[in-house]
Amino acid sequence: MSEDPRTIIQRWLSAEGYIVVGRSVERADSLDKALGLAKFVEDFFEEGYLLARVAISRVPHARILNIDTEPALRIPGILKVLTYLDVPGENQVGYAIPDQPLLAEGKVRYFGEPLAIVVGRDPDALARAVEEVRPRYEPLPALLDPLEAMERTDVLVHEEFGSNVAFRTRVRKGNVEEGFSKADVVVENTYRTHHQEHLYLEPEAALAIPDLENRVTVLATIQYPHLGQKIIAKVLGLPAGMVKVVAPYIGGGFGGKDDEGPLVAARAALAAYHLRRPVLLFYTREDSIQIHPKREATVIRYKSGATRDGKLMAIDVTIIHDTGAYANRGPFILWRATMHASGPYVVPHAKIDGYCVYTNKVPQGSFRGFGNPSIQFAAEAQMDLLAEELGMDPVEFRLLNMLRPGSTTLTDQVLTSSVGVHEALRKLADYSGWWVKRRQYRVERTGRFRRGIGVAVAWHGNSTSRAVPDWSNAYMQVARDGSVVVYTGIVEMGQGSPSSSHRQIVAEVLGCPLEKVKIVFGTTEAPDAGATHASRGTSVGAIGILVAAGRIRSRLESFLSEYFNVPLEGIQIRDGKVYVRGEPKMSWEELVTLAYSRGVDLSSTGYFFLPKGTFQEDIGRGFAYPAYSFIAVVTEVEVDTYTGRVRVLRVYPALAAGRIINPEAVKTQIEGAVIQGLGYTLMERLIFDHNGRIVNDNLTDYVIPTSLDVPEIEETIFVEDLWEYGPLGAKGVGEMALIPMPASIANAVSHAIGIRVTELPLTPEKVYSLVKHLER
Amino acid sequence: MYYRVLQIKYFKPRTLEEAIELLTKVRNSRVLAGGTDLLVDLKTGRVSAEALVDVGAIRELRGIEDLGDRIRIGAATKLQELVESDVIARELPLLRKAVESMGSWQIRNLATVGGNLCNASPAADTAPPLLAYEAELIIVGPRGTRVVPVTKFFTSYRRVALEEGEILKEIVVRKSTWSGWSYIKLGRRSGFTLSIVSVAVLASTRGEVLEDVRIALGSVAPTPIRAYKAEEYLRGREVGLGVLERAAEIAKEEVSPIDDVRASAWYRREMVYRLTLDALKTSLRWS
Ligand SMILES: Cc1cc2nc3c(=O)[nH]c(=O)nc-3n(C[C@H](O)[C@H](O)[C@H](O)COP(=O)(O)OP(=O)(O)OC[C@H]3O[C@@H](n4cnc5c(N)ncnc54)[C@H](O)[C@@H]3O)c2cc1C
Repeated sequence: MSEDPRTIIQRWLSAEGYIVVGRSVERADSLDKALGLAKFVEDFFEEGYLLARVAISRVPHARILNIDTEPALRIPGILKVLTYLDVPGENQVGYAIPDQPLLAEGKVRYFGEPLAIVVGRDPDALARAVEEVRPRYEPLPALLDPLEAMERTDVLVHEEFGSNVAFRTRVRKGNVEEGFSKADVVVENTYRTHHQEHLYLEPEAALAIPDLENRVTVLATIQYPHLGQKIIAKVLGLPAGMVKVVAPYIGGGFGGKDDEGPLVAARAALAAYHLRRPVLLFYTREDSIQIHPKREATVIRYKSGATRDGKLMAIDVTIIHDTGAYANRGPFILWRATMHASGPYVVPHAKIDGYCVYTNKVPQGSFRGFGNPSIQFAAEAQMDLLAEELGMDPVEFRLLNMLRPGSTTLTDQVLTSSVGVHEALRKLADYSGWWVKRRQYRVERTGRFRRGIGVAVAWHGNSTSRAVPDWSNAYMQVARDGSVVVYTGIVEMGQGSPSSSHRQIVAEVLGCPLEKVKIVFGTTEAPDAGATHASRGTSVGAIGILVAAGRIRSRLESFLSEYFNVPLEGIQIRDGKVYVRGEPKMSWEELVTLAYSRGVDLSSTGYFFLPKGTFQEDIGRGFAYPAYSFIAVVTEVEVDTYTGRVRVLRVYPALAAGRIINPEAVKTQIEGAVIQGLGYTLMERLIFDHNGRIVNDNLTDYVIPTSLDVPEIEETIFVEDLWEYGPLGAKGVGEMALIPMPASIANAVSHAIGIRVTELPLTPEKVYSLVKHLER
Repeated sequence: MYYRVLQIKYFKPRTLEEAIELLTKVRNSRVLAGGTDLLVDLKTGRVSAEALVDVGAIRELRGIEDLGDRIRIGAATKLQELVESDVIARELPLLRKAVESMGSWQIRNLATVGGNLCNASPAADTAPPLLAYEAELIIVGPRGTRVVPVTKFFTSYRRVALEEGEILKEIVVRKSTWSGWSYIKLGRRSGFTLSIVSVAVLASTRGEVLEDVRIALGSVAPTPIRAYKAEEYLRGREVGLGVLERAAEIAKEEVSPIDDVRASAWYRREMVYRLTLDALKTSLRWS
């Protein structure tokens, strides 16, 4: 039997009759979390450890003349104040562009930028000390508006780049002039979307313990322990092997702890390095909101044209992202937005230009959907507008242009398989009662309360983009008692991959009982399996687990075939039992004992390097992603035209994300993403003052939905459009339902009030100002 | 754990006299009821205090009683007790409705009605109904007991008519019959929210004529307020849509809202008009 990853992936992709996969098995962490036993970073704090906080900049833009640490050091209980001068290795930690210091150096570029680390014994002293770190500044003018920042060169956020445009993207496909000349209808609009705060339950924290195992160990709220290890090593000037990073249970990440996690870990490690004692560095809620990057705020100009018979002909799109003071992952976010700008449709002519623009505000960062919710909001509004111009139904118009197997994408990538979106939308329209409601609500559009129904479809590339390397890996060991330990770098931040799908895949592939499987997650002691972001915890993260398990499985099968002298086909291991020609022969535990005594290697790794294609950056053409997940969402709303309040009544999702390994886990991801998307669309809003300071940095003033705002979220329609490399054909799910929510709600609101919504959030005030003239 | 509990002097007297003595004698001391406002303010530094006098164990400050012609509510009565009280449901339905909308069950089990009034937020949800009922506040202090109508209690932004060492003991509402009432709270989400605008209305009619009406508004001025001019205009008039609209228009002129993180002053004014009109219509069962 083969140890070749592709053969293993292929075998399990097309296996018949799964036993554990496809079932809603209970998560491994649910009881501990319900009982309050699950441990998060700060739960590892012990008496005697030191504490640290970050002192932040309270100006948006200034040159640092010097940082006086004396006043803070005079406070009793304060032991150390660390600035960039105390970084033994490199202070440069920018992810996409080398533009970001771990601790401010030379200039400060946003209100909230980490300036210094204050270490002490007492949280009250720390609270005072962070206010007492006193830089002397030469103030510089602050740029808060990206459109203005783009035009200006007299004020530069980063002088060394000579421009406030941090990064550009483009797509040139066909010939847009020709495309528009063939179009019978053309619509054009400017769309605006806003920042979103992650507001995870657990703010950032990291506990650094020096000299444990003769190296520094850091427990952190982090989505990629191996990246944390790399950055800590760089900052401290140590080899990576001297640094161990562990992510215990994390109280929500949503991308925020992908950006901020490694930096928090590095700051804690720096403090421990200097004090040679364990240090817990923590962010308060206010710190967290001021410091860490946010969902992109955008301005999108979108022009699209279609022929009379409903064929999308051309799009011309300009995307401007307010990337804030540092590029962070902004260039990647813009890249993703650009390559998804068409929506999941075929379009022969396209011109897309993207600009990632520096301003003196909190940086833009990773957040569930990663640049995609904003661009789908614009793209899907345009699809509705074109349909209206054409006198067609929005669903019908979308179906006419939708990607199918064999279609060519915006970047000229041919999608040969795993494109279930057409089927998903078709089924969804019937299931949600779309055809009737869409007409009925329009006819009833009178009176104070008006109903609307809207649709939005979205696609989301899986894995890293282009030829950017992506791989999966895991290490697995079957112990002598038959228990199985799996090590993965994927973290558990509530999404559930290590707690559910990983276990299911191991039990399925080994044929062992589910209870025997233990996943050790989120540690650099495991092989690097990439970050837990981009919906990849299962879709990519579990490939390595599948391969590792597949290897042990085939060794056991070969052994059994020899042992019983039957061909391989006569051997079955399922649900903890070995069957030979259909006869039960021994238990899983007996098999493992036997295998140990006969020299079968029951440890394995599962490295798999994802095949990729090439991409021409200058015209945005080629292989963008190895596969796409798709989702369609129909939303019903009721708008109170009297106050402008929008109530989302019902949400119907349809998902095409390959194999559904745990339906309950997928359901929780969809529900969570719908609610988070609803909050973003209707009420969440960061308010900046003239200093670029976030005014509402607390839970009184930054509101997110509560259970009373949650609509009926109907059962999801699953279209299992298997991905050839996905574990058992699975694609990414975690981000999916958030992506179309702004568009779906906005389209429903536009339908209800008969006025096109182009700007978020749809607060009562915003909607009221739109409908004010509709009186009676 | 690395969190430190608040380091502060703490007293829990059993009698009102003791409490008043402590407040007068202990430097920089403050009344603590449920702490749902005060502890947050101490944490953020908006309020500073060196000692807290917890009034939770003082019997006379607790409980809801029907005294025949009036209702007495102890200042330290928990909001959830108000929600669950038959007396409140029967006699002060407007208050019940407002309290029901406050915080969450957990918060309502800590927070007190007196704390809500004394905290003097323009958004305090018990204020508009009590302003409409014209409740009387019994205040006890070093110089004895005095009665302050709630309509005179809120003196300016976040200030109330309490002198050094004084404690709000109870709230008394004289029974009166109203033919209709309405409370509307518009927030940024469906529940667990501070108001953008809130409106409380009590109305009584004889035939088609509005005999009496009270309109109180929250979050649209430095303090919770009554819309006296609108009330004046309505009193004695025959109910009609034009009349109600005119009253709402007047109410809109009586407010002085600000722009803040919840909404703009413009929107608040618009909503004063809309919600006052709405609350009047509901109170008068007019559609
Ligand atoms: C999560 C949350 C949600 C909330 N939601 C709402 C809401 O929807 N609507 C709303 O109106 N409020 C809300 N609040 C605010 C708060 O809960 C209420 O104002 C509550 O009624 C305050 O009562 P308390 O007993 O907790 O007061 P405390 O915090 O104990 O005291 C508040 C102030 O009043 C003074 N004080 C208290 N009792 C007396 C007394 N008897 N005599 C003299 N002075 C006194 C204290 O010294 C202090 O200055 C919310 C608060 C939180 C934390």
